[in-house]
Amino acid sequence: MSFHDPVFLRFFGIYMGLLAVGGSVLGVLRATVKRDLGHAWRSYRGWLLMVPVFLGAVALGRVPTVLFLAVLAGLAFKEFARGTGLYRDWGMTVTVYAGILGVALVTVVQDPTYGRPGWLGTFLAMPVYVVAAILIVTILRDRTRGQLQSMALATIGFIYIGWMFGHLAFLVNAPHAYGYLMYLVLAVEANDIAAYVCGRLFGRRKLRPHVSPGKTVEGAIGALAVSLALPFVFRFALPGLTTGQLALTGLIVGVGGQLGDLSISVIKRDLGVKDMGALIPGHGGVLDRIDSLIFTAPLFFHMVHYCQGIYELA
Amino acid sequence: MRRWRYESAGDLDRTLFQRLAAFPREPDLVVYTLRMILGVLWRGWLRVYQRLRIRGGENLPAGSCVIVANHQSHLDSLAILSALPLRRMHHAYPAAARDYFFENIPRLCIATVMVNAVPFARDPKGCESLRTCRKLLARPGTVLILYPEGTRSATGEMGPFLPGVGAIVAGRDIPVVPCRLDGAFEACPKHARFPRPRRITATFGKPMRFGDRPRGRASAEAIASELRAAVRGVGRGGG
Repeated sequence: MSFHDPVFLRFFGIYMGLLAVGGSVLGVLRATVKRDLGHAWRSYRGWLLMVPVFLGAVALGRVPTVLFLAVLAGLAFKEFARGTGLYRDWGMTVTVYAGILGVALVTVVQDPTYGRPGWLGTFLAMPVYVVAAILIVTILRDRTRGQLQSMALATIGFIYIGWMFGHLAFLVNAPHAYGYLMYLVLAVEANDIAAYVCGRLFGRRKLRPHVSPGKTVEGAIGALAVSLALPFVFRFALPGLTTGQLALTGLIVGVGGQLGDLSISVIKRDLGVKDMGALIPGHGGVLDRIDSLIFTAPLFFHMVHYCQGIYELA
Repeated sequence: MRRWRYESAGDLDRTLFQRLAAFPREPDLVVYTLRMILGVLWRGWLRVYQRLRIRGGENLPAGSCVIVANHQSHLDSLAILSALPLRRMHHAYPAAARDYFFENIPRLCIATVMVNAVPFARDPKGCESLRTCRKLLARPGTVLILYPEGTRSATGEMGPFLPGVGAIVAGRDIPVVPCRLDGAFEACPKHARFPRPRRITATFGKPMRFGDRPRGRASAEAIASELRAAVRGVGRGGG
């Protein structure tokens, strides 16, 4: 259990406090402003479900956290496969699920060369093995028609959802895992909410009208400003990072979060669907919720790794 | 460059339980895997605990067919499905009462994940269910399992057959296999909380065909009576 860790405890308080504040604000608004808050309530109920589940998984420790994130990746890939039609191709779907399981496995096991938790070399090479497996599937079943589409969808499904999102799970092997993980999730969600709120309050110019008509330049700037400030507010979660690296963390979340959101919008618009699923009340599917994290997690991971070394900040 | 064609699932905007309750359901790898695992487990349990005996399994055709059986307990569908190879379970659809199995989440999960049930309305809207069954039979390899009594027997005796079964098979050249279940009432009667260790026997008769029968109420009723007699007679020199 993680309740001995002061960083986890602080974040636990922050997450629960934010839930309480959010609920109170909505309650006050409901009593004072005579406007339809139905969507906000549905969204809040989604948070009431997601936050305790996430905190519970992290509280249980390293392996349950990795398993939880692998299940999330699996659910997100399932939505991607159902949206694109890849789910009818069971060979490819099973290969990608196996790849996601492989990412979780190399995240949990010890590096046989250096004896460190998490097999970093294999983790970084996972796309090679999984893409090779995807290619082999087509050869084994001796079929050609429509295979390029299947291979391409399976490859992007694994790299985008299984591997890029897997970087978030690999952060559990860092000395300050609780800080990194809980900060990144909080900052990315704060970035999303800031973009939405700033867009609603000040939004004038559309950011990418064809990709996501609801997003505005003002919303993106507001989100970037919030994201740049957050690493300094939560400095306790990112020990050892210099001021420049903290600013870079803010930039990664501010820009990466927006790009993640927009990239899933490209996929949804091309498919002609509004949401990738309906698993989380008020939020759509898992993929709709973790889209910003998918883009941000590898950028943050490599920033920490290349600036300081993922294992060397103790 | 030519645009790719995406064939998205038709139920993307539905929640998990809405997706399970809908019919026809989109194929789902997780559900199929769970069904296979559960299938192995409950088949083993039926063989050991209920000492399930299957007779006349060779009468089940390899292609599409309708199995018509008497209805004694919740174990009936499991006993009939045990006569089919595991891989055919995903194409076998026992009819299950919509108002009982599809409006309660635990029962919905059991009916859809475990036995791949097709919802059957026991009210005037039943015509829609009959249409669904007819459409299902157009798919190759479909096994439709029907209980024309419409409900489980309260006494163990076979009740009258409703004409819906006749409406489904009349004028359609598809084998209809009568099946008699014995012992299921003693093992798990209505209102029983847990099955008792009693032997269950599923006996399959020779396939019947009603492709030359006209469609209509009178014909449907006649077919229903013939099927009732066939189910009664299975294994007793009657089929």
